[in-house]
Amino acid sequence: MKKILLLIICSFGAIWASGQGKVTLSPAAFTSEDEVTITLDVTGTPLAGANDVYVWAFSNDGVGGGKDASTNGQWAASSEDAKMTKTATNIFTFKFTATTLFGQSPAELINFGFLAKSKDGSKQTPDYKPFKFDPLVFTASQFRLFPAKLDYTDMATVYFHQNLATDVNLQRMTNIKVSLSFYNEAGDPVGSKQNIVTVKESAILFSYSFIPERVITFPAATKLGKFSYQFTGTVKDANGLDVTTNGPVTEVVYTVFN
Amino acid sequence: MKHIQHTLFAICILLIWSCKPEDFGPIGEPQNIVKSIQGNWGLTKVTQIDQDASTKGFPYKQLDITAVYPYTDLAVAFLGDAQGNPTTFTITSGNSPKITDLTSGNWTVDNVKAPTAISLKNGTVVNILSIGSYISLKSGKLIIKKDKKLNGKVILSYQYEFTKK
Repeated sequence: MKKILLLIICSFGAIWASGQGKVTLSPAAFTSEDEVTITLDVTGTPLAGANDVYVWAFSNDGVGGGKDASTNGQWAASSEDAKMTKTATNIFTFKFTATTLFGQSPAELINFGFLAKSKDGSKQTPDYKPFKFDPLVFTASQFRLFPAKLDYTDMATVYFHQNLATDVNLQRMTNIKVSLSFYNEAGDPVGSKQNIVTVKESAILFSYSFIPERVITFPAATKLGKFSYQFTGTVKDANGLDVTTNGPVTEVVYTVFN
Repeated sequence: MKHIQHTLFAICILLIWSCKPEDFGPIGEPQNIVKSIQGNWGLTKVTQIDQDASTKGFPYKQLDITAVYPYTDLAVAFLGDAQGNPTTFTITSGNSPKITDLTSGNWTVDNVKAPTAISLKNGTVVNILSIGSYISLKSGKLIIKKDKKLNGKVILSYQYEFTKK
């Protein structure tokens, strides 16, 4: 009985998910001053099969100080500036820069959301939100990636700034290593390598530089969508024995350059 | 008083008469950049530049990655014809990571007198690299840059420094 119930819940979950549409943002991480391309697959939504789809965007959802996009127009008559570009059946794109679209300064913009609709508002998708803007001011943190935006053919360097660690075990951690996991564009694991010895750049800074194809073997036709890294090491327990300790797993989505 | 006026007038005439075009020495033959690029080059330095961080004024703008992998294995040969026009190229990577999609083909420049970009072509595959300072060419260094763009904005660059073999 439990299994049947689980199956029914899963089936309803799958049906619900398929009716939500699929959003991809390029680049995956962006500031309010970057040009962002929304790609929306409306398959399974009330807009499936439509030729004309309009975006209805809004800023700062749930955090106050929000504004409607300058391109929205009226709900019953969307502005032509809000029209998304049809690139294939059920696939639509829309390009924008947030400071221009919302008429707000980078300091005012925290996140944005949007939905897609027919011009007269009789059909619409669910809300897609919130998508956070990266800060325009550099914030130092215990883990860092260089360069900030890269694709899977690029050299990546992951850093652990031990002096910025907030966890006591991470502050005390020695014998520092890093584990890497790679995923394809569908999010499926492609390969991983555990406990790679890091470079000790100073007493408080550890790093590891790599190009994925030099770390794991994957088919030439496979494109990687993201990777994750985790710094690990050892701390001494009450008896002076080494105990393994792990930092959090940090995920990095690869940028698709064009 | 009249005496002073005559004297001043005579000085003016003398000054005007003494003006004449100045002769500058020859500046030498113009440097033929395309010809300077031709030859065999070995990769000696690779710098990764986070252009996005530079634009935003963030720290950590560039990183020397030469020693991470054997980049110095990589060699490039840019060949030219008898008239000095670009013809073919070959890239031998050895154990170095690839710096372009191509290993051989034809190369051209965007401007013969003042090139800013080199196009590497093989069939339908084209890779464009930008040329750095001309001054370094005189000292046997070729600086080439590869840009990665997002929506027309350069986000990431690689600067390759080659030394003439």
